[in-house]
Amino acid sequence: MAAFDFAPLIVLLPFAGFLVAVGAALTRPGVLPKGGALPGIAATVGSLLLSAWVALQVLAGDRAAETVYVWSAAPAAGVPELVFSLLLDPLAALMLLVVSLVALLVHVFSLGYMNDEGETGLPRYYAGLGLFTASMLGFVVAGNLLMAFVFFELVGLCSYLLIGFWFREPGPPSAAKKAFLVTRFGDYFFLVGLVGVFATFGTAAFAGPESFPVLAEAVLAGEASARTFGFEARTWFSVLGLLILGGVLGKSAQFPLHTWLPDAMEGPTPVSALIHAATMVAAGVYLVARVYGFYALLPTVLAVIALVGGFTALFAATMCVVKREIKQVLAYSTISQYGYMMLGLGAGGYVAATFHLLTHAMFKALLFLGAGSVIIAMHHDEDMWNMGGLREKMPVTYYTFLAGSLALAGIVPFSGFWSKDEVLYEALIHGLAGSPAVLVAYAMGLLAVLFTGFYTFRMVLLTFHGDPRTETARDPHGVGWSVKAPLVVLGVLATTAGALNAVPVHEVLGFPPEYLHDWLAHDGGQSAFAALTSEHYGELLKTQAGYASAEVSSVAAGLVSLALALVGAGAAVVLYRGPDPDPHTEKLGAARTVLYNNYYQDEYQAWLAESFVRPLARVLDGVDQGVVDGGVNAVSSVSLFSGRRLRYVQTGVVSNYAALLTLGLTALVVAAALVGGWFT
Amino acid sequence: MLDTPVQVVAGVADGLLPPVVLGVTALTLLVIDTVRPDETSLALLGGVGAAGSLVAFGVAAALLAGGVDPTTVYGGAVMLDGTSLYFTLVFASVTALVSVASYDYLRGQDYAGEFYALVLFSATGMSLMAAANSLATAFVALELTSLPSYALVAFLKQNEGSSEAGLKYFLVGAVSSAVLVFGISLVYAATGALTFGAVAEGLTTADDLVGIVGLGVVMIAGGMAFKTAAVPFHFWAPEAYEGAPAPVSAFLSSASKAAGFALAFRVFVGAFPLDVLVPMGVDWVLIFQVLAVVTMTLGNFAAATQENVKRMLAYSSIGHAGYALIGLAALSADGPNGAVLGASMAHLFVYGFMNTGAFLFVAMVEHWGVGRTFEDYNGLATRAPMASVAMTVFMFSLAGLPPFGGFFSKYALFYAAVDSGFWWLAAVGAVNSALSLFYYSRVVRALWIEEPAVDLSLGRRPVGLYVAVVGAALATLLLLPAFGPVVETAQTVAATLF
Repeated sequence: MAAFDFAPLIVLLPFAGFLVAVGAALTRPGVLPKGGALPGIAATVGSLLLSAWVALQVLAGDRAAETVYVWSAAPAAGVPELVFSLLLDPLAALMLLVVSLVALLVHVFSLGYMNDEGETGLPRYYAGLGLFTASMLGFVVAGNLLMAFVFFELVGLCSYLLIGFWFREPGPPSAAKKAFLVTRFGDYFFLVGLVGVFATFGTAAFAGPESFPVLAEAVLAGEASARTFGFEARTWFSVLGLLILGGVLGKSAQFPLHTWLPDAMEGPTPVSALIHAATMVAAGVYLVARVYGFYALLPTVLAVIALVGGFTALFAATMCVVKREIKQVLAYSTISQYGYMMLGLGAGGYVAATFHLLTHAMFKALLFLGAGSVIIAMHHDEDMWNMGGLREKMPVTYYTFLAGSLALAGIVPFSGFWSKDEVLYEALIHGLAGSPAVLVAYAMGLLAVLFTGFYTFRMVLLTFHGDPRTETARDPHGVGWSVKAPLVVLGVLATTAGALNAVPVHEVLGFPPEYLHDWLAHDGGQSAFAALTSEHYGELLKTQAGYASAEVSSVAAGLVSLALALVGAGAAVVLYRGPDPDPHTEKLGAARTVLYNNYYQDEYQAWLAESFVRPLARVLDGVDQGVVDGGVNAVSSVSLFSGRRLRYVQTGVVSNYAALLTLGLTALVVAAALVGGWFT
Repeated sequence: MLDTPVQVVAGVADGLLPPVVLGVTALTLLVIDTVRPDETSLALLGGVGAAGSLVAFGVAAALLAGGVDPTTVYGGAVMLDGTSLYFTLVFASVTALVSVASYDYLRGQDYAGEFYALVLFSATGMSLMAAANSLATAFVALELTSLPSYALVAFLKQNEGSSEAGLKYFLVGAVSSAVLVFGISLVYAATGALTFGAVAEGLTTADDLVGIVGLGVVMIAGGMAFKTAAVPFHFWAPEAYEGAPAPVSAFLSSASKAAGFALAFRVFVGAFPLDVLVPMGVDWVLIFQVLAVVTMTLGNFAAATQENVKRMLAYSSIGHAGYALIGLAALSADGPNGAVLGASMAHLFVYGFMNTGAFLFVAMVEHWGVGRTFEDYNGLATRAPMASVAMTVFMFSLAGLPPFGGFFSKYALFYAAVDSGFWWLAAVGAVNSALSLFYYSRVVRALWIEEPAVDLSLGRRPVGLYVAVVGAALATLLLLPAFGPVVETAQTVAATLF
């Protein structure tokens, strides 16, 4: 179990990097070379190596769920114990690899994006990155819901710090606040759900026979009991599941809590890459996958997840179509892609969704870093209509960006095709077999493929093809190795990661093996972890959620989505090719205004806040000021008054003290005697 | 038995080692001072004092960690068990802090050797108080603690306030000792015994002497109230604390108070069992309930109106005595008594650090000669940020705010009180804590928010005081994660008293 002994270090190393950067910033700014990037890089390299070691150990069949720190021991039987514990299983090991890899590449890229651009406040930046990485890694290895919540909140805090990095400009602080508040709104439900889980099951552990998903399963089978507060067990569990889902919707930017994410583009681009690919936004989806054993028991909640996911995928994809700024396109595409993952989870495709989480991490990190490279070249102009023709000037960026785009659009054989296709395939077969909600979600997801192909290629064409449309684009700023190296690494991975789980190929040729399915399916011979395998989830979906599978060829389904993606991409090529493409958005008429304004999501949420929340807050404030504070103030004015009286008693004359002391003692004796009846 | 040289020579039992170490340290200090009366080195004296108390701390901690079998020595007069060792930890750590801090405070004063020796003798008496198993030992140990402290309060001979405070403390102390010894004699008269076990035994057949027993018990409670600075024996405290050198105030209000509680816990739990005395008509729990409520209310109310920071701390220390009294006031015939008493002991442990630290900060301010009122503290954070952070930690911890040690200890205390059915005690305590936030935060506001006086300058940084204040602040912070072991130990050793 050697590797597992070092597992806490995976989290602690980036945290140490954070401490070093903060310490340097506080004591002697400038003492660290590269503004603190090097400790961060060293720490993430360490985390990556340790993660790989852990993954090898998991591959060898080991699993672990161990308590690291008892936060609050159970004071009595029946009272939950609060602990920090590690859960190391295939899902966590996979995610550890992804997070530490992306974090490392983002650190390296930042050398080019932040250091070389002469930004100030770099120790603060690298401290933020370090804490962000540590928080996400801590979230990934969390062995119970409470610890997950703690790190979930830390992730939110770090995103606030980093999005608002350029706090002297007007935009970033406001975007940071928005990201924090909107995700906090979701987290509030998560917190209530967390308390609910403790109250219901007396534990929030993820793994083992005493974990809450296993207990929930036993309760539904009538083999155990839990406190359900008068509800029928499944109803109550669904309420809990939906509450936890609140946090997921906020963090993973799902409708209607997605509005923070596009604004978060105000942060430095490497941070966007980290947020979108591996940390903050991934946290929500990962949480659902982590407690999938619980969600698989609840068909209603699954349907909600699938519908929200499918709708978000389509809804966000349509908004991408009219965006002018390259990072805005990527932002909405992130929302859309996480919609696919939710769709996959809701449709019973646990492996498919995990697969898409993995490939998306690769290609979205790639696209953001590529966009960052373009933004460096364009002297921080992000408007695609000011670009054009960058292909010749920056070939490395172009080819890697193209690989990422092909993956995003879902073109065979790039990684995104295989994972998105599998998500849609799972939705289709379960939808056809009697789950109309899933089928509707599938239809929305499928339609979104068309839009995805379109906006992706519109972005590529406007940025890299045609003639340069501005002076800056004619003479772009060069980028260094620290920018190119991460792009190449991610470019290779975005191209090839699909081979991990090429289901349609496997169906036809019986080769290659479905590595990811095998990775997630088995418990490594340790029955304590049997409840965390995709085999077990499949069983639950069948028996508890009533999901059946229709017989559909995965090849046929894949061909349909590929065709749609090609149509979308083709349309973009037709419209935007040539040296000097026209903006065709006017042709959309009224729809264009709606899309430009993002369906007025921000407006209605601001309206809700102003017309309902603010008056309510005002009333509560009145209660607080008048009743609560009034009470406290009354107590303190009484106390001040009587306190002044007391000063007269403390006369300073010692004989008075002796007298008062004796009187006090006498009063005590008399009282005790009367009560005790000593003289009767 | 351990086989340390002391034990081989003198045949000292394991549990008696900490008091012996303290006593030997005190004698060593006297010897040093005798050999070189004119060229006393403060570093040497302070170092020996601190080292001796740290050794006592280490020995007590090691013995406690190794597990202790309660043993009695000297014909049952002294009981060596977890409780005596636990309280020795409190005394030793406060003594160490005070020794380190006095290094700066005593600069330019005569008789530093005597000062340190008196502190250590007093600490020896305290650790004997915590080990007392007989009313006679209790009285002697209490006097051994008190007599040096009278001299310590009056240490600044040329200072009128100090001398006056010392005299008042001594007079009130004499009255209180008289009350205590009178109480002891009455109990002896009724039971014919002095060791606690025998007293408890004798009480079972003393039904017809209820008046004598009752009077004796109440008077003994009075003697304890004097040492813990609880109403109505608290009058000495504000003046003694204000007049005394600030390190001595820290010592008295933390260690000496804890010693009073240690003795009170021992006497009342060991010698006056509830199941015998309550049916007889001597309900001492009721007495302590009255004392607890009155003491915490009076302490906090009076603290709220003070203008002088040291005097405010003096009253707040009376208030904290009220909280700690819950440990006796929430006992019942069949309740979770070990948990209640242990929670109170844990509170005293945390209190030892945060209160000592607060008084030492006052000592530092006195050392700077800035002034004593809240206004004089204005803007100190701009000149001494580190120490101000520490003081802020003490204030918030004393008020019982998370995330400081004082939050958990108060929480455990109130929780234990609720658990044994005395929710109203906890409620009074909680209201008082809320009130205390008012005057503690005045200090914090003065330090951080108010503008400093234009000509505020502090001069030299006193090393010893800084070390002690920052050490106490660190301990207060560390007691947040480490509170679990502390309260578990306290409750385990407390449970063996019943």
